[in-house]
Amino acid sequence: MSQAEQHDGQGDGASAAGASSVIPFGPQHPVLPEPLHFDLYLEDEKIVAAVPQIGYIHRGLELLVDKRDFMDYVHVAERICGICSFMHGMGYCEAVEGILGLAVPDRARWLRTFWCELERAHSHLMWIGLAADAFGFESLFQASWKARELILDVAEETTGGRVIYGSAIVGGVSRDPSDETLVRCMRALAPARKEIAALSRVMLDSPTVRHRLQGVGVITKEAAHRLGAVGPMLRASGVDYDARRRGYAAYGEIEFQTVVETAGDCMARAAVRVGEIEQSFAILDKVVAGIPGGPVVEQFKGMPPAGESFVRLEQPRGEVVYYVRSNGTRSMERFRVRTPTFANIPAMVEAMAGQSLADVPTIILTIDPCISCTER
Amino acid sequence: MTEKETQSISPIEPGRLLVETDALRAAGWRIVQVLCIGTPEGAELTYSFGLGLELRSLRFTLPAADSLPSITPSYPAAFLYENEIRDLFGVKIERIQGDWDGRVYDVAEGKDGKKPFSKVTIKAISSEEGAAPSGGAR
Repeated sequence: MSQAEQHDGQGDGASAAGASSVIPFGPQHPVLPEPLHFDLYLEDEKIVAAVPQIGYIHRGLELLVDKRDFMDYVHVAERICGICSFMHGMGYCEAVEGILGLAVPDRARWLRTFWCELERAHSHLMWIGLAADAFGFESLFQASWKARELILDVAEETTGGRVIYGSAIVGGVSRDPSDETLVRCMRALAPARKEIAALSRVMLDSPTVRHRLQGVGVITKEAAHRLGAVGPMLRASGVDYDARRRGYAAYGEIEFQTVVETAGDCMARAAVRVGEIEQSFAILDKVVAGIPGGPVVEQFKGMPPAGESFVRLEQPRGEVVYYVRSNGTRSMERFRVRTPTFANIPAMVEAMAGQSLADVPTIILTIDPCISCTER
Repeated sequence: MTEKETQSISPIEPGRLLVETDALRAAGWRIVQVLCIGTPEGAELTYSFGLGLELRSLRFTLPAADSLPSITPSYPAAFLYENEIRDLFGVKIERIQGDWDGRVYDVAEGKDGKKPFSKVTIKAISSEEGAAPSGGAR
């Protein structure tokens, strides 16, 4: 069966039967930070259908869980991805803590929130840079990554790591920066916040950017819901859903706004991310102002009981689902991550249909794909 | 700010999968994830759906010899989950709309025909090799 035949029936009216040519896109491409391949079925310059292909960096990390001690596996979970590393470790810990019935100390919950929002802010800034680079706006790319560096400095100051924090552990966190350190870090971020405010205006108001993003790759509210989209991809289409409302970590005690747009195009997805950077800094301010004292870890000794746990977190790219099952031994029986990019691929494929070939890189980037997460 | 989160896992018969998923689709539930756990006898599958912060899962076990209908007619986005489960666990899923024909992970096919996430036990290996199980490393 040909790929075109395989693709028939996928999506709304997207049939490769009318295509006059097929163009391979990726897995190595200037706009792709990680390998991802598409067969693009074209009629003239219009995309008739796009068939994705992943699997270039599949590492089988989930399978490793039954070979490692459950307390140590958090370090493997953290290495699923280099952008949401802390959240991956924390998600695994939350799932295990659910099985153990372990209550995480208050200060540890607030520190987890602090590092989660640092990751969200620097991830969205990295995305602005990558998107700007994709549509040829080099100075915006440089400016956003320069501002991001200051956030990574704060991560290093508070955890010792810029990419892998190594701070999430079962029962709490392994690092306890002082209140003074946290205040000093927020002061150090002041220049970054000014730069981010300026580059956000450029991202949202520049005619060059709007020309490339507005009206491109539209996903309707109905389609976003039907295709299981998550994160900015979902919220840019008018669906008000944010897993942080579960109240995990300290989100139940901190007021924040969910950023929702309605246009459903690439511009709306950019606007959601820009708005979320601002919200992340607002949350960071509240964490530093209100963080309680006390211990940062609740120790657990002994064997974990048999059981299972589902946990959902809101990563920068959207809702992530962790599942852990224990069989009562030191190694968990199963660990599963449904990452946001995995959930957003069907919506991305739908967004490409009917678009111009020149807009494909922009559409791919506006789901902010993380292939390392997706393939695990 | 915090909203109430509820989770439930309902055991179902494999034959009821399409009926249950059609009903969930009609009620506006979105697909959240499909989980597969390899067992020596086959696979345990858990389909999860979300409505707001509510998470509802359907669970059943599928013997290795049996096949499963695809839920892509109700949930087109399930094609990626179903392709992956077939590649990694060897679960037979029929009529996937968006069938990648075993090419989600090009490294998935083992020389011995076993899928990478298949559950392999010492008892099964010993049985295949015609030898009694022995101690030692897994």
